[in-house]
Amino acid sequence: MRLAFAPLSLLLLAGLFSPSILADTFRFTAIPDEDESRLVERFSKVADYLEEKLGVEVEYVPVKSYGAAVTAFRNDQVQLAWFGGLSGVQARRLVPDSQAIAQGAEDAAFKTYFIAHESTGLDASNTLPDDIQGMTFTFGAKTSTSGRLMPDYYLRERFSEAPEKIFSRVGFSGDHSRTLALVEAGTYDIGALNYAVWDAAMQDGLVDTSKVHVIWETPTYPDYQWTLRGDADEHYGDGFSEQVRQALLDMDDPELLESFPRSGFIPADNPMYAPIEDVAESLGLLR
Amino acid sequence: MAATPISELALQDHPPRLLAGKSPGMRLARHTLTLIALALLVLPFADLHVLSRAPWGELGRIAQGLVLPHFGSVESPLSAIGLTVAVALWGTLAGMIMGFPLALVFSRSRFVRAGCAFVRAIHELFWALLFLQVFGLSALTALAALAIPYAGIFAKVYAEILEQTPTAARDALPEGTGRLSRFVYTELPLAFAQLAAYTRYRFECALRSSVLLGFVGLPTLGYQLESAFREGRYFEAGAVMWLFYLLIASLPWWAHRRLVPLLALSSLFLLGPWPDIDASLVWRFVSQDIWPQPLLAGDINGLIDWLREIPELLPVIANTLLLGLLGSVGALLVALTLWPLASHHFGNRLTQVAGKGLLIFLRSTPELMLAFVFLLLLGPSLLPAWLALALHNGALIAFLVARHADNLKLDMVGLPASGKLGYQLLPRVYPGMLALLYYRAEVILRESAILGMLGIATLGYVIDDYFQTLMFDVAFLLLLITAGLNILVDAGARRLRPKGIQPS
Repeated sequence: MRLAFAPLSLLLLAGLFSPSILADTFRFTAIPDEDESRLVERFSKVADYLEEKLGVEVEYVPVKSYGAAVTAFRNDQVQLAWFGGLSGVQARRLVPDSQAIAQGAEDAAFKTYFIAHESTGLDASNTLPDDIQGMTFTFGAKTSTSGRLMPDYYLRERFSEAPEKIFSRVGFSGDHSRTLALVEAGTYDIGALNYAVWDAAMQDGLVDTSKVHVIWETPTYPDYQWTLRGDADEHYGDGFSEQVRQALLDMDDPELLESFPRSGFIPADNPMYAPIEDVAESLGLLR
Repeated sequence: MAATPISELALQDHPPRLLAGKSPGMRLARHTLTLIALALLVLPFADLHVLSRAPWGELGRIAQGLVLPHFGSVESPLSAIGLTVAVALWGTLAGMIMGFPLALVFSRSRFVRAGCAFVRAIHELFWALLFLQVFGLSALTALAALAIPYAGIFAKVYAEILEQTPTAARDALPEGTGRLSRFVYTELPLAFAQLAAYTRYRFECALRSSVLLGFVGLPTLGYQLESAFREGRYFEAGAVMWLFYLLIASLPWWAHRRLVPLLALSSLFLLGPWPDIDASLVWRFVSQDIWPQPLLAGDINGLIDWLREIPELLPVIANTLLLGLLGSVGALLVALTLWPLASHHFGNRLTQVAGKGLLIFLRSTPELMLAFVFLLLLGPSLLPAWLALALHNGALIAFLVARHADNLKLDMVGLPASGKLGYQLLPRVYPGMLALLYYRAEVILRESAILGMLGIATLGYVIDDYFQTLMFDVAFLLLLITAGLNILVDAGARRLRPKGIQPS
């Protein structure tokens, strides 16, 4: 019996590899705002694309939380990241000289959808209805821009109260896919999520529209962007930052763009995100 | 008035009071009932809502995934298993190397005892969150997260084992024998078997912790488990669970004493990735990030504002303690109900094997994972956390109690099962069961705090908040509060523990 298991131990040892950090690999990460399978599919394509354009090895590093994405960027474990509005601001504050270099064409005017389960009897309207008070509500991730920061801001603006006071229960689903699933299942009455994730799910026929629908959309705000560390040129050669920016702006493969989903990438800079910074400070999510 | 018969008079003089008396049995019964009454008293304050509308359908799908796992869908299972084992093994070894010398001075140094109590009181996952900030998603984060609390645990337990070693051999030594020789020749050999047994047990715990590190993003088995469960891919989740159970069940073979050196050496190559340590970053974290920002600026008024900005902690602290108490009492009830299932004194071979299987299943599944699954089913109230704590810890205690009972010989034959349970076995195993529960209280409270990271309103919830918003100074303060609470409860449990009872 013991001998029979010895091969198992050997198997454990033999068939494995140890991934180690190579100095010249260019790494990037992204906030885990959707189902992981979707993220891996999207970003392994981006890695291939960047590798071809930049002539260095490019690797996508998956993470489990928004905070972990920022930490990886701060610790130089990744040099580039696809951040949300707030996580981008957090990261750029921690890593001086880092730059927002490109955003999706849709990100200059991004928005949040408030969605409701059919049992609430709520309809789409131009303002958040009074009836939502006392219902249950879920945000997305704690530091998501479209799933937390902006919906929190507009809820306070509408009701002059903290979400915890407006609703009988406030949860954090973790990501937009999960917010959709939880409201569709009726675990929460109302949810707030990234409009692009909703639209893409609708397009793919993944939403049961008899169970869940949009009741309100927020005004627009700047959101997702690619942020690059300031010391990229130092590590990968002069002009590398410009190369990365150009490669992102030149991305025109429809299949690649659709996986984001974005129609294309446009230039971005740090000051564009000042409104996000202000809102985050006023809500105590930044200091 | 009619004359009262003498027998009744006697009764009136000494009215039989329920549960009165100084016998150990009565003492334990009163103790237990007080505990249960306390739990019932606080029950109305606990948020036990079921938030999900259709939990049964989901439960069915999860069960189906466990029964019909799809192994092909697990991505690179070998590297995940390899890393899980490597982290557990080296985490345990490093904890042992740090803990052993501490054990030798444990009883003599108050400073060492306090330090060990402190590092023990913080859960592995909280340590991981701290180290993530400086070492990133790397092997070093994983190892440190395991090794540091384990060093504290090893120091305490090794010290206890060494203290209980028979002294006859030591006393027989000639005068003037050196401290080292005395230790190596008379103390170590006598304690060795017990030390080794405990280290093995710790290694099994380390495997569970190593899996859990996947929940914060280190690529152990838990990484895929978390995604698969969260996204409803239960066939894949079921497959990872089975891989984990097989790993635990086959421990005696692949982690055989003689294979350990080979395993340790070769698993060293599986550990990775290693971080590029940025000394300035580490220094900044230790010297600045974790200290209140106004304090560093020397601004006392600012410090008061800083403290004011921390939201009310009392509700989460109360919830943590509440969950700890409910979890402990739940574990006691689960243990009381389940232990006979796994004992050879009851049922037939089939029910015994099934009962043992159930207990091993519940005991091997970490609380966090159980809570995570129940949370998907029931929504984020205290209920899923309570169920998880009660089932896991109850099963763990039941397993040990059943083993104790199996070593007992029954002198009265032909009693029905209820008689065996009520008159012969329970009175003998119950003291041990209660003592085990009190030993476990500390662990249950530690878990109550960490379960907050899943969205349940305990201390872990606010700690995660501050890690996500990168306010490490507040997060660090909350960790200190968590540790303090844990140390207090541990001291309290030791005081309350029925005296003169050792867990078997």
